[in-house]
Amino acid sequence: MSARVMMMDEPGRVALLMGNEAIARGAIEAGVSVAAGYPGTPSSEIGDALSQVADALGFYFEWSTNEKVALEVAFGASMCNQRSIVSMKHVGLNVALDILNLISLRGVRGGLVLVSADDPSQHSSGQEQDNRWLAKMNCVPVLEPSTPQEAKEYTRYAFELSERRRTPVMVRTVTRLSHMRGKVTLGPISREKRMAEFDWEGFSYRVSGFDRLFRREKELNDKLKLIQEDFEELNLNLLKMGGDERFGFIGAGLSFNYAHDAVRRLGIEKEAAYLKLATSHPIPQRLVSRLIGGVDRLLVVEEVDPFVELHVRALAKEVNPKLEVYGRMSGHLPGEGELSPQILGEALARIFNLENPYRRRSELEERVRGTIFERMLTFCAGCPHRATIYALKSAVIKVRGDPRRVVVNGDIGCYGLAHTPPLNFEDTYFCMGASIGVSQGMRHVGVDCISLIGDGTFLHAGIPGLINSVYNQADIKVVIADNQTIAMTGFQPHAGSGKTATGKPTRRVLIEDIARACGVDQVEVVDPYNLREAEEAFIRMLESKGVSVVIARRICATEAVRMLRPRRPTPYRVDEDVCIGCRLCLNTFGCPALEWDGEKGLASVNETLCMGCGVCSQICPQGAIGRAGAV
Amino acid sequence: MRPFKLVISGVGGQGTLLASRLLAEAAIRSGLDVIIGETYGMAQRGGPVMGHLQIGGEDRSPQIPPGEADALLGFEEAEAVRRGAVYLKEGGLAIVNTRRLHPVEVISGMAEYPSRDALMALLSEVTDNIVSFDATALAEEAGDPVTTNVVMLGALCASGILPFQEELLLETMRESVPARYLDVNLKAFILGKKAFTNHKRRQTGIQK
Repeated sequence: MSARVMMMDEPGRVALLMGNEAIARGAIEAGVSVAAGYPGTPSSEIGDALSQVADALGFYFEWSTNEKVALEVAFGASMCNQRSIVSMKHVGLNVALDILNLISLRGVRGGLVLVSADDPSQHSSGQEQDNRWLAKMNCVPVLEPSTPQEAKEYTRYAFELSERRRTPVMVRTVTRLSHMRGKVTLGPISREKRMAEFDWEGFSYRVSGFDRLFRREKELNDKLKLIQEDFEELNLNLLKMGGDERFGFIGAGLSFNYAHDAVRRLGIEKEAAYLKLATSHPIPQRLVSRLIGGVDRLLVVEEVDPFVELHVRALAKEVNPKLEVYGRMSGHLPGEGELSPQILGEALARIFNLENPYRRRSELEERVRGTIFERMLTFCAGCPHRATIYALKSAVIKVRGDPRRVVVNGDIGCYGLAHTPPLNFEDTYFCMGASIGVSQGMRHVGVDCISLIGDGTFLHAGIPGLINSVYNQADIKVVIADNQTIAMTGFQPHAGSGKTATGKPTRRVLIEDIARACGVDQVEVVDPYNLREAEEAFIRMLESKGVSVVIARRICATEAVRMLRPRRPTPYRVDEDVCIGCRLCLNTFGCPALEWDGEKGLASVNETLCMGCGVCSQICPQGAIGRAGAV
Repeated sequence: MRPFKLVISGVGGQGTLLASRLLAEAAIRSGLDVIIGETYGMAQRGGPVMGHLQIGGEDRSPQIPPGEADALLGFEEAEAVRRGAVYLKEGGLAIVNTRRLHPVEVISGMAEYPSRDALMALLSEVTDNIVSFDATALAEEAGDPVTTNVVMLGALCASGILPFQEELLLETMRESVPARYLDVNLKAFILGKKAFTNHKRRQTGIQK
């Protein structure tokens, strides 16, 4: 459905797009030539949408091996006068920061747009991080859309601005916008094909001389002043002010919507002036001054840090020292987490001494929480990671006696769910690749530990750590759970998948080759669906000296079944005459396709969910589980 | 027009998001404004999924405030109650698939799946307008359990609560469902409609 809309060249046509798709569409309308990214919720659908239509529309798209490489790819194209876009989740920018800093200092040629998808309230991230600080630190202007329509328009404008001012531009979205769908009026698709030519004057030391290109801080600061002037006049910033209001609010990006709705609900629209702020860096100071000079009280609404609020407070010192500023710093809005109409209702009710128009059934909600389980995330039915971790845990119990004798340092990906019940076999996870690094520190002080990392994550940020362990003789034990895809974010391919982002076959980069090339002598590849084989390999790993790597390789079950469609795998079945109802399969393995038949007091298999992996049949001590038809 | 607000609740993989998208596409065809807010996190991994669909109205936020949904489409019994109790307005329409999906807490014996009576008692505190049936069984009858979402859409259409014509939804389905799956989906839709009317007929019958 979405590929068709992405390619539709019918200006004026209205389509339903999610925020991320709208950003992709904006890039397409702007005539993007090179697009790259690394998947990460909530940003992934930007790349998904671009990958589906890149070939048909004649631009290049790749899933890069990490965000830094993605940004470098985009910059390479930009230096050759091509428009490029790169997308990532908020923390991905931490990885790409090294090059961003230099891109902004040296400038760009073809428009370069950086999309940062931030995740207030950590819906699918280890941390909240407001990337407007990183943009400010690196002198990158920031645009914050509030609807899918704006996401598309702002992206198009970002290319224009980037090219005009020779700077990378950040389009900042948040989870609620990235995953929101709304009506979007399509514009024409740019058919302009530019000659790709390296900008010698702009980037070559050979041509322009080292000194002219190297120190450009002053130029950069001057650029920011010009961009600020652009933003003062930009029609995307909307100031609504009659002149007799005593109260005002500034809403940046998606958060504007919450304030808008709450103000209406309280019936105080007429008393409220507002600035709908599209450009949070650099702040259009004159525009903001017009608002704060005309009101006594001001509420600043933004996610997730008080970024605009801080600037407004500084500005108010000069413009209107008596201004009362409400926001996250004043405590009228919570210091962390995403906002909502209810939170704004509460804050406004407090400021205006009114009743919060939004009500919750707190007492009933409490009883619902007390009655209904939480529904934790878990490995999918048939997930090879469940088998890997089951076998690893059994091996640790056999060799070390107690699963708590080793620290399991996990990493970022589906296998990070190893900490969830019933396996409960993971202690830490931090950021991409960290499992391999932190384990070395633990080994140097004599603490027993295991690194558990996935294929995509290893290729993204695990390799330098592994080299380090060999070089510095930290005899870490590394389990690489290789399901041949970046499953957590929607099955995007990577260097080990054998296909590119646009589905073309390519050489598979084998993790075992990399591990050996890093100097690891003990490298094994096992199939986790064969529990005994996997467990034996893990035992050898635990008993070895030196760095040891076991790659547990089996394609993601969900991906495998997708490829099998419309056929389904042959399910397994419990033989009711043999099952003794010991619950071992349920209590220690816990595949979602296993169920407890309370009436019969026996285990059973849900055949619509069963992926036919057969691992449960290897766990059952009675041999009660077999392939349907065979029992 | 008065805005129409619908909460769709289920578990990852049940097709809840596709259902809200079909409704939104149909709304656009009838010229109405629409926004959908989706909450799914890492839902592929068996987590809860929720969609907020708002047709018409002036609100810009993608989340429906608590207690303001006109209707709830619950794809899974416990998830229906979890969201219905929070978001459904007093007397709002709840359409509930009684088919249960056991979470890992229940599978591994850490928690019990609450009884139907306990669950419905909680939902009844918000509304007595509850229509519940095994939608997955009907989808299986239609030929594919994956069409549970379309059974639910059929039931919602039969309720007459939607601010656009049924034909627009069917048109959307015909255009977005691959041809080889269309028959099964249309069958699922009709079974969902029937389930709703049968349920209502039974309810009125009891009242008599």
